[in-house]
Amino acid sequence: MEIIKYILKRILQAIPLLIIVSMISFFIIRLSPVDPLAELRLNPSVSQETLQKETQRLGLDKPIIVQYGKWAKSFIKGDLGVTSNGEQVSTKLKERIPNTLLLTTIVIFLTWIVGIPLGIVAALNWKSNLDRILTVLTSIGMAIPSFFFAVLLLIFAVKTGWFPVGGLTSSDFLEKSLFGQIIDIVHHLILPVTVLFTLSLAGLQRQMRANLLDVLDSDYVKFARAKGLSEFDVIYKHALKNAINPMITLLGFEFAGLLSGAALTEYVFQYPGLGRLILEAVMRSDINLVMASLMMGAIMLVLGNLIADILLIITDPRIRRTNV
Amino acid sequence: MFKEVMKKLWTDKFARISMIVLGIIYFSLLFADFIAPYTKDFSDRTMAYVPPSKIFVIDENRHISKPYTYNYVRGFDSENLRITYNLDRSKKHYVKFFSKGQPYKLFGTIPMKRHLITTDNGGRLYLLGTDINGRDVFSRILFGGRISMTIGFLALFVLFPIGLLYGGISGYFGGVVDMLMMRFAEAVMSIPSFYLLIILASILPSGMTSVQRFMLIVIILALIGWAGFARVVRGMVLSVKNQEFVQAAQSIGASRLRIIVKHILPQTTSFVIVAMTLSVPSYILSESGLSFLGLGIQQPDASWGNMLKEAQEYTNIIYRPWLLTPGFLIFVAVLAFNVIGDTIRDVLDPKSNK
Amino acid sequence: MNKLGYVVLLLVAGLFIHSCVNVDLPEDYDKNKTSNIKSEKYYREYPTQLNVNKDGVDYLESQAPIGKFGGTLVASTIGEGPKTFNPFNSKDNISSTMSEVMYDGLLATHPTTGLPVPKLAKDFSINGNDYIVHLRKGLKWSDGKSITADDVVFTWNNIIFDGFGNTSTRDSMLIDGQLPTVTKVDDYTVKFTTPKPFAPFIRNLSTPIAPKHVFEPAVKKGKEYFDGFMSTNTPVDKFVTSGAFRLKEYVPAQRVVYERNPNYYVINKRGEKLPYLDKLVYLIVGDINNEVLKFEGGELDVIGLQGANVSRFKEMEKYSDFEVYNMGPSTGTMFLTMNLNNRKDAKGKYYVNPTKQRWFSDRNFRQAIDYTVDRKNMVFNIANGLGAPLFTAESLNSIYLNKNLKPYDRDIEKSKQLLEKSGFYWDKKGKLFDKYKTPVEFDLYTNAGNTEREAIGVMVKQDLEDLGMKVNFKPVEFNSLVNKLVNTYDWDMVIMGLTGSPLEPNGGKNVWMSDGTLHMFNQRPAGYNKDDRFDWEKKLDKIFTEGALATDFNSRKKYYDEYQKIAYEEKPFIYIYSPLVISAMRTKFKNLYPSMLGGLTHNIEEIYIER
Repeated sequence: MEIIKYILKRILQAIPLLIIVSMISFFIIRLSPVDPLAELRLNPSVSQETLQKETQRLGLDKPIIVQYGKWAKSFIKGDLGVTSNGEQVSTKLKERIPNTLLLTTIVIFLTWIVGIPLGIVAALNWKSNLDRILTVLTSIGMAIPSFFFAVLLLIFAVKTGWFPVGGLTSSDFLEKSLFGQIIDIVHHLILPVTVLFTLSLAGLQRQMRANLLDVLDSDYVKFARAKGLSEFDVIYKHALKNAINPMITLLGFEFAGLLSGAALTEYVFQYPGLGRLILEAVMRSDINLVMASLMMGAIMLVLGNLIADILLIITDPRIRRTNV
Repeated sequence: MFKEVMKKLWTDKFARISMIVLGIIYFSLLFADFIAPYTKDFSDRTMAYVPPSKIFVIDENRHISKPYTYNYVRGFDSENLRITYNLDRSKKHYVKFFSKGQPYKLFGTIPMKRHLITTDNGGRLYLLGTDINGRDVFSRILFGGRISMTIGFLALFVLFPIGLLYGGISGYFGGVVDMLMMRFAEAVMSIPSFYLLIILASILPSGMTSVQRFMLIVIILALIGWAGFARVVRGMVLSVKNQEFVQAAQSIGASRLRIIVKHILPQTTSFVIVAMTLSVPSYILSESGLSFLGLGIQQPDASWGNMLKEAQEYTNIIYRPWLLTPGFLIFVAVLAFNVIGDTIRDVLDPKSNK
Repeated sequence: MNKLGYVVLLLVAGLFIHSCVNVDLPEDYDKNKTSNIKSEKYYREYPTQLNVNKDGVDYLESQAPIGKFGGTLVASTIGEGPKTFNPFNSKDNISSTMSEVMYDGLLATHPTTGLPVPKLAKDFSINGNDYIVHLRKGLKWSDGKSITADDVVFTWNNIIFDGFGNTSTRDSMLIDGQLPTVTKVDDYTVKFTTPKPFAPFIRNLSTPIAPKHVFEPAVKKGKEYFDGFMSTNTPVDKFVTSGAFRLKEYVPAQRVVYERNPNYYVINKRGEKLPYLDKLVYLIVGDINNEVLKFEGGELDVIGLQGANVSRFKEMEKYSDFEVYNMGPSTGTMFLTMNLNNRKDAKGKYYVNPTKQRWFSDRNFRQAIDYTVDRKNMVFNIANGLGAPLFTAESLNSIYLNKNLKPYDRDIEKSKQLLEKSGFYWDKKGKLFDKYKTPVEFDLYTNAGNTEREAIGVMVKQDLEDLGMKVNFKPVEFNSLVNKLVNTYDWDMVIMGLTGSPLEPNGGKNVWMSDGTLHMFNQRPAGYNKDDRFDWEKKLDKIFTEGALATDFNSRKKYYDEYQKIAYEEKPFIYIYSPLVISAMRTKFKNLYPSMLGGLTHNIEEIYIER
C-alpha cells in the first residue's frame, strides 16, 4: 500500500518535469532557422499551392506560443500529430521503440553481468596491478569514438562474412521458422551490442569498484570482521549486498545514457531504433517527430528512475522507512 | 594538495605515461605553426590523396645521403578506372630543418618563416599524406588538434561557474527556491543529452565565422553538462551547510552570497578537479560525434572529428589509412585523460591516504 | 614494468625510423598511362517489346532471351525509405520509385531512344490536340478485376484533375489556367484533349493508373483521407496493382519486399507470364558507405558506385561475382550561381548588398569566374577522374543537348582581361578591387555534410582567390540553405545541384522562367508582378512558353538550343561537372541491357537468374 502511494507521488512529481522538458524542447526547435519544408521547396515539380497547403497544415504561419499550445493540447489527448511527410508520429514511434528497448535491455543486462564481477575483482585487489590493468582496459573501451568503432566492426563483418552488415532482420525473415527468426535477430544484434557494451562497461565497473571499497571501509564491515566472521562471509554476505544497492539507482541514468549513446551506433549499423529516427528528424526539423521522440526519451528516463527506486525500496527496507 | 597530486601522478606509471603523452600533444599544438610544414589551408590540388612522402636516406648508389624525398605524380589507369601515384624520380628534394617555408605568425603575433621540418620550394613533404583537397594531413592534425583538445576545457570554463553558482544557491537557500531550481535542472537532465546536443547544434545560425561557430559549440557542450554538475554541487553544499564554520560565518553576519562563494564552494574543490579531468574526454568525444554528423566544426576548418568523418568511408579506411590518424589521436588523448582522471580520483579519495 | 616501457618506446622509435629510412631503389612502372577516361562501354541494343494477341488478350511480348523463373533481386535505396505507397501522394523520389514498381502507366520511356512506348496502352495516336489511347484488352489487376477505360478516366478526372494528393502533375499540365480533358470513347479507348498544342503532355501519359474499384471509396471520403490512403501503414494485401510486382512486406527503416504479380501482362516468347523473379527487395540504407558494405557483404545484388569505390570494384571485378557498368554522365547538374536579386525586402532593405549586386549583375564578372573555375582538377580530385566537365544547362545525355556549345579549359588570363574590361584592378598584393575601389569579397555557401560539394567549395574558393577575390566559404545545413535560396534571399554565391530531365527540357521551366519557384539566381517572391526582368530573362521566358507549345522535335530543339546558348553566354549558372553513372551488379543476373536513360534494371520483368 505504501509503495503504491509512493509511486503515485512520484508520478505526480514527474508531471511538472515533463512540462518543463516539453517547453524547453519546443522552443529550442522552433528557434531553429531550419525550414521544415526545404526538401519540398527544392523539388522542381512541387507547386506553390502545395507548399502553402503544407505550411498551413503544420501551422508554421502562427506565432510560436500558439503552436506550442496547439501541440500540448493534442499531446495530452494522446495525439502526437503527423510528421512532415504526413505519417502518424505514433506509428513511427511504435515501430522504433521496441527495437531500441530490445537493444538497450540486452546491453544493460550484459554490462551488469560482466561489469559487477569485474568491479568486485578490482575492489578486492585494490591497488594491485590487476586492479590497474582492469581499469585501463575498460578505459580503452571508453576511449574509442563509438561511431568509429562501429564502422571498423562493420568492415570486419564484411571482410569475414561472419555477421550481417547492419539492420535487424534479414530480407527472407518472413520465410524463416520462429527459431530461425530468433537466431536471425540475435545474429544482427551482436555487433551493435558489442559497441554499446564496450562503451558502457567502464562506467559500471568503476562505480561498483568504488561502492565496494566504500562499504569495505565502513564501520559495520569492520564490526563484522571483528566478530570473527570469515572473510568470505563478510564480503559476499554483507558487503556485496550493500554495495550493489546504490547501483540500482544508477540503472535509470544508465538507461538514459544508452539512449543517447545508441544514437550514433544505431545510425552506423542502420538499426531501426529511436536514436536513428530522432537523428533524421532533427536534420529535417520535423517538429512533431522530434518533440514526440524527446518526450518519449524523457518519459522513459523518468520511468527508468522510478523502477530503479521501487527496486531499491523492495531490496532495502531501510530506505523504505526514510523515503515513504 | 596540488603538489601531492602531481607527485602521486608522477609515481604511477600509467599516469606518468599519460602525462607525457598529453604533454607532447599539447606542446606540439602550441607550436603547431612552427612544427607543421604547411599552413592549415595550404593545398596543392594536383596532390589529392597522396600517400605519405617517402623519405630516403640511402640513395640509388647505396650511399648514405642527406634525407631527401621525391614528389608524387598522379596518373590515371584507364583500365581499372583508378588514379595512380608514382614517384617523380627526376628531382630530389632534400628535407630541411629550421629552414624557411611558408610565412606564419607564431602565437598569432610573431611573424616567422622558419619551420621545424620542410623541403625546398618545388618539393612537397607530406608526412602523413594528403586529403581530398590536397592538404597536408600532418599539418591539419596539428591545427585541428587545437580545436579538439581545447574545446573540452573551454566548455568546462563555461560550465563550472554556472553549475557551481546554481548548485550553491539552490543548496544554500533550500525550500521553494531549491525545489524550483532543482526541478528545472532535472528537466534539463531528463532530455537524453545527445539528442539535446544535436538539436542545439542543428539550430546554429548559418553563415557564422569559424570562431563564432567554435564558441557556440563550446557553449552548447557546456549547456549539456551544467545541470548534472549543479545537482551534485547542491548535494555537497547541503552536507557542508550545517557544519560549524558555515554557522560561524553566519553568526558574524556574513552575506549569503559571500558564504556560498567564500566558504561553501571551496569545500567542493576536490570534486571539481576530478569532475574536470573526467569530463574533458567526454567533450572530446562529443565534438567528434557532432562533427561525424556534420554538425560540428565545418570545412575548411579542421578538427579531429571532422577529419575523421572524411576518413570513415570504407574506401578511405582500406586505401588511405593515413587519414585515420585523427581517430588514433582521439583515442590516445581520451585514454590518457581517463587514466589521469582515475589516478587523481584515487589520490583525492581519503581512503587511499590511510 | 619500467623495462616494458622502454621496450615499447624503442619499438615506437624503431617504427618511426623505419618509415623514414628508405632505400631509394627505382621500381618499374608504366609511364604510358594517360589520364583519359575510357570511352563508354558498348552495350547490347535493347530488344523492344512487341504487342501480341493471344486468346483475345493483348499481351506485350518480351523479345529478350527466354530465362528461368524464380529467385530474388535485392536492390537498395538510400535514406529513410518510402513515405507512402500511393503513387499520387508521393512527393519524394523514393516513394515514387516504390509505388511505381507496382503501378504501370499508359506509356513508358524507351530506355535507349527515349521515345514514348506503350505499356498499359496498346498504342496511341496524336492528332493535333487530341491524343487517342487504345488500351490492351483482357488485362487484369492483381486481384483479377479487368483494367478498362473507366480506370484511366477515373484516375485522370477524379484523382489528378480534382487535386487529390500531390498536385504537381496537375499543375504541370495547366496551360493558360486550363486543364486537358479526358473522355472515355469505349471500354478500351480514351481520348485526351489539351486546350492548346502542348508537346510535353505525351510524357504525362506515363502517370500511373489507379484501380477505380479500390481508389474510388477513398476519393469519396475527401482529400484529407486520401492523404493517408495506401500509406506505409496499409496492410500489404490491400494493394491491387498493375505492375510487375505487388507489395509483400514493409519493415520500416529496413526493407520493402515485393512479390511477382501473377496477372502481369508481359509474356516471354514461350507465352509464359513474366516477371521471372519471385521477389524484388529494396533494402533501406542510411548512407552510401553502408550501401557499399552491404554489397560487399553479399546482401545486395546491385549498387550505384561513386569515386574511389569504382576503382576498387573494378579491381575486384576480375575475381568476384559482379560486373561494373559505366552508363555515362549523370542527368543531374551541379553548378555555382550568384544572386542577381536587385529587389528590396518589405522593410526597404536590399536583399543583396548593392555593391555586390553591381558585380554579380556584370556579365564580365560572371564569365571571369566561369573561366577561372578549374573543372578538370575537380573531376580529377573529387570525382576520382570519373566525370566530365559541364558547360551547358542541359545535361550531357539530354536529347536536347546543344552540341555547338564547346567546352574550354581554365584560362585565368582571360578572366583577368574580362575583369579589367569592367574596371576591376589589382593592388600590389594582388588583391582585387572594383572601379569604386571596393575590395571584392563575398560569401560562398553550400550544404554541409555533402563531402562532394564541400570539396568543390574549397576548390572554388582557391580558384577565386587566384583572381584576388576574398571568398568566405560557409557550408550550412541543407534546410537552412534552401531557406536562403527560396525565402530570405540573403546569399551571395552558392554551389547547388539539380536533378535533370534529359528527355523533356520543359521540366526545367521552374528554374528558367522568371516566375519559377526555383529561379534561384533571381528569385522573385510568389505573386510578384513588377516586370524587372533582364533582357535575357525575357528571352528565356519566351523560349520556354513557346517551346512547350511547339510539337515536333526539330522545331522544339531550336528553342531549347537557343536557351542553352543564352545560359552559356550569360552564365547565370556556372556548371561544374557531371559525374559518371556507374553501377555494379552480380553476374548471375541475365538479360541486362544497361542504358543511360533506364539504368540497369529498367526491364525488371525480363531479368532472370542463371543457375
